[in-house]
Amino acid sequence: MQGLSSLGSQLVDLCSALLLLTCFAIVAQRRLSACVDLFALQSAFLVVTAALVAYLTGNHHIYLAAGLTGVIKVIIIPRVLKKVIDRLNVKRELVMHVNVPTGLLICGGLVMLAFFIAQPIIPLGSLLTRDSLAIALAIVLIGLFTMIARHQAVSQLVGFLVLENGLFLGATAATYGMPLVVELGVFFDVLIATLIAGIYTNRLQDAFDSVDTDRLTVLKE
Amino acid sequence: MIAVLVLLIAPLLAGGLSLVVHRSGWLHGINLASMGALVTAEVVITHTVLRSGPVTALDQLVYLDALSTFILFIIGTVGLACSFYMRSYMDEQVARGVIAPSQLNQFFFLFHMFVLAMVIATMANSVGVQWVAIEATTLATTFLIAFWRRRESLEAGWKYLILCSVGISLALFGVVLLYYSSLHVLSDASQGLNVTHLLPVADRLNPQVLKLAFIFILVGYGTKVGLVPMHSWLPDAYTEAPAPVVAMLAGVLEVVAAYAILRVRVIVDHAVPFAFAGGLLALLGFASFLTAAFFITIQHNYKRLFAYSSIEHMGIAMIGLGVGGPLGTFGGLFHLLNHALAKSMAFFAAGNIHRRFHTVEIGQVQGVAMAQPWTAMALMISGLTLSALPPFAAFSSEVQVVAALASQGVPEMELAGTVGLVTVTLSDQFSRVALVSVFLVGAVLSFGGLLYRITGMVWGTPPEGMVREEIWTLGHLPIILLTMALMGFTFFLPPPIQQLLERATSIILIH
Repeated sequence: MQGLSSLGSQLVDLCSALLLLTCFAIVAQRRLSACVDLFALQSAFLVVTAALVAYLTGNHHIYLAAGLTGVIKVIIIPRVLKKVIDRLNVKRELVMHVNVPTGLLICGGLVMLAFFIAQPIIPLGSLLTRDSLAIALAIVLIGLFTMIARHQAVSQLVGFLVLENGLFLGATAATYGMPLVVELGVFFDVLIATLIAGIYTNRLQDAFDSVDTDRLTVLKE
Repeated sequence: MIAVLVLLIAPLLAGGLSLVVHRSGWLHGINLASMGALVTAEVVITHTVLRSGPVTALDQLVYLDALSTFILFIIGTVGLACSFYMRSYMDEQVARGVIAPSQLNQFFFLFHMFVLAMVIATMANSVGVQWVAIEATTLATTFLIAFWRRRESLEAGWKYLILCSVGISLALFGVVLLYYSSLHVLSDASQGLNVTHLLPVADRLNPQVLKLAFIFILVGYGTKVGLVPMHSWLPDAYTEAPAPVVAMLAGVLEVVAAYAILRVRVIVDHAVPFAFAGGLLALLGFASFLTAAFFITIQHNYKRLFAYSSIEHMGIAMIGLGVGGPLGTFGGLFHLLNHALAKSMAFFAAGNIHRRFHTVEIGQVQGVAMAQPWTAMALMISGLTLSALPPFAAFSSEVQVVAALASQGVPEMELAGTVGLVTVTLSDQFSRVALVSVFLVGAVLSFGGLLYRITGMVWGTPPEGMVREEIWTLGHLPIILLTMALMGFTFFLPPPIQQLLERATSIILIH
């Protein structure tokens, strides 16, 4: 049993690390559709992580959460985003606020910051997944950074979804998932938020002939 | 129990009906009926809570104590006022061809969903369900803010959606951390986020985790409250959204978000010294208050003026709640109520002026007193209330906050334990006198800025060719009632409200 749980804990760590790695890939990627593919890949890793945790701990409701992640974040949301991108006149992120190497360096710094913040509270956990908490926080911070660093409405949306993935990993890893009613509500909110943001991108495209949010400068002091 | 169901079903049913009914008269009728049902249910619940204490219902999902009942009271009052105001406002927009009649269905559907989400956020026992509901308010309101579909409104709606979603996501991380700490204490994991289960064991929760959780939750919901420095969406959204929607955003949504912070804060206070949460609240309160007071003095757009005044008043309420003690807490809560009433009235007036003058520039609006006497009265009274002048109720609540600040000062706070980086000890650097003087300077700045601009709009002669009369509509009813409430509360607080406020204060004050 000891061997199984230590192997399991390492597997969970491995999967969390893969999640973090896809974050870096998203930061480095300029093509919008590739960003969406990477997000789908990251969500797939999330499904594996959640299923692993469910198997190792015997908490069956995590299977449900993993299944929902699979349906919503691996299949539905990427399809919606692909449709949105097809309608846009730009396929590439032409300008970014920070160039790719700087962005990657900053993300490295964010990972260190996340481990630094989470250090005092990690030892409190007796769970086999406790190390993933710091990784989850790192993914949240990188998602936040992506939203700030990108111009395009769609890539900001991808940043938001990455952030959500980090939160989900945190919830699964630190606490074996939230109570079911909360879990379902969060999924519902994320799905609706994506659909609404998709509608917005269309309207922004129609009104401004662009989804470059730097053009949204009418309102200021 | 039935009242709880009514609170949930009324907006849900009204939202559903709004999609299938096409006559505008019916839509307004449904809206008024559902708001009426909401208010009636609230009166019943207030009665029950005052007589026999907190209510739990629906398999522990709903928990109503004096604090949440007080928030429900604000939702009902402002909601009903908005529903009356909407009648003439929305019909005029349809008549002028700004929106197609079919868009009214969309408007009312989103509006009811918005109300439903706020009711759930207030009644939820589980902090997690509360999070879901508050995120749902963001989703319901973003299209209401962008309702006119102009470029500017799309911009405001997008900013709101993105900033608030991100903020709220951070709050979710805080909720996860709270759950993480509760799992070590509570045996039944499925109840681990319920306030009723967390409160009895709160002093055994891990203080380190709670501190971190509170910071995330404060920043997250603080975005929604519009606290500086997370406020940048707020002036844009308040300028672009239709007037009744802004009245709801400014009057109710901010209060609900502040309530979500308070709920967690009560739990955190059990395990962590009071100064931690109180100090953070007071710090953000001061930042919001002073920043907004400065921006009020340089505004030339009256909707933005009121938007910054919202930030300022939420700052004052946060200072009161942060300083704590019976006086500060009571004053802070009372200020939430007064601000909700005054600000919804201010935006009703702003909406009326915009419909007549077709501009948001303060310089181009003159002689409202001649063109629209009722609106001018509403503008003056809300302006005087928002500048905290006697005899209006915001004066008494602001004096309570200042008095608490003067007698207790800002709680000393140490973040060192959590982050290991920052050690802020406010009370060493500033004496109470300095704090009170800073507060008064800010108050004078905003007082001067606000009143100077409002009097400029009210007096003078209206432009050539402007119609000089105001036809009485249903929308004027809430203006009269709100005026009476704002003046009346200074001298006489009705016993049920007074008792609710006192009990809510004792819920927040645990030491």
